[in-house]
Amino acid sequence: MPILKLKKREIESEIFTGSMADISFLLIIYFMVTSVFSATRGLDFALPEDNNDTPEIKQEDSIDILVQPGGDILLDKNPMPKAELEERLLPYIADKLAQNKKKPVILRTDPQATYGDMIFVFDILRTPEDQGGIKIDTISIPTQREIENIWTMLGVTS
Amino acid sequence: MAIIRGREKKGGGEIFTASMADIVFLLIVFFVLTYNTEVDRTKVTLPKTLVRSEIDKKAAVISVSSPEDRNGPEVTRVSTGEEMSLPVGTKEEIITFASTVVAQDPNKQFVIKADHGVHYQKIDDILDALKQSKVKVIYLLSDQKTVGGK
Repeated sequence: MPILKLKKREIESEIFTGSMADISFLLIIYFMVTSVFSATRGLDFALPEDNNDTPEIKQEDSIDILVQPGGDILLDKNPMPKAELEERLLPYIADKLAQNKKKPVILRTDPQATYGDMIFVFDILRTPEDQGGIKIDTISIPTQREIENIWTMLGVTS
Repeated sequence: MAIIRGREKKGGGEIFTASMADIVFLLIVFFVLTYNTEVDRTKVTLPKTLVRSEIDKKAAVISVSSPEDRNGPEVTRVSTGEEMSLPVGTKEEIITFASTVVAQDPNKQFVIKADHGVHYQKIDDILDALKQSKVKVIYLLSDQKTVGGK
């Protein structure tokens, strides 16, 4: 008996991808709207390690900068206006460091001065050598409490 | 003379869109990789500096914003770098926060994100709190200053 071969009907199998582009664009829009390129750069300073053999610094062994309200400074008790800082501050320090390159720079700021005033001076001190800066081994930023402790230890009443 | 009008051939104009999916997925991958959740959304005008170094993205953040009316108190917020920032009121709260963070990770970096106009007294309090909490490295967040720019 002859066998009749039936022609198999081909089933069309296809994944519908028409909506994939819509989903993808929705995802893109979500990430574009919610992602932030936040500021992640700034001035760093490392705090001293807590050890007992901290060298004692005498006042005459350091360069003292006091930032005043308005941005002017007292550099070793001599006034220097803000407008002249970029030209005069680093040459003065370079001259002092030429005598003793380990001289620390103490950056104090009047509580009534602004944070921006302090950062302005700190940025000048941290200028890289290839951009006209100088190598300063130690820049110390003492807090008000630390300064008062030192005055108390020295027996100075402010 | 009769003009024989030929049947107009329909132009098969089609924009090739097969590569669009590739481009879209590339963009998605880019955004997924660079996606950052900002833990602190305090709006501040950062001071500008020429010197800027890269800060660890997981660093703890202490933000100080200027009051809108200039006479009000500054608002301080803290974040571990992984959770959204929370407001703090006193210096003691900052010490408690920083001590807890340092206890979990002694090398944790801290970032001070402060408005350039805040009084230094506030920054001094924060620095003192961080020093008391034995923080090792502090960053002062800043914007890029251009040469000759303000």
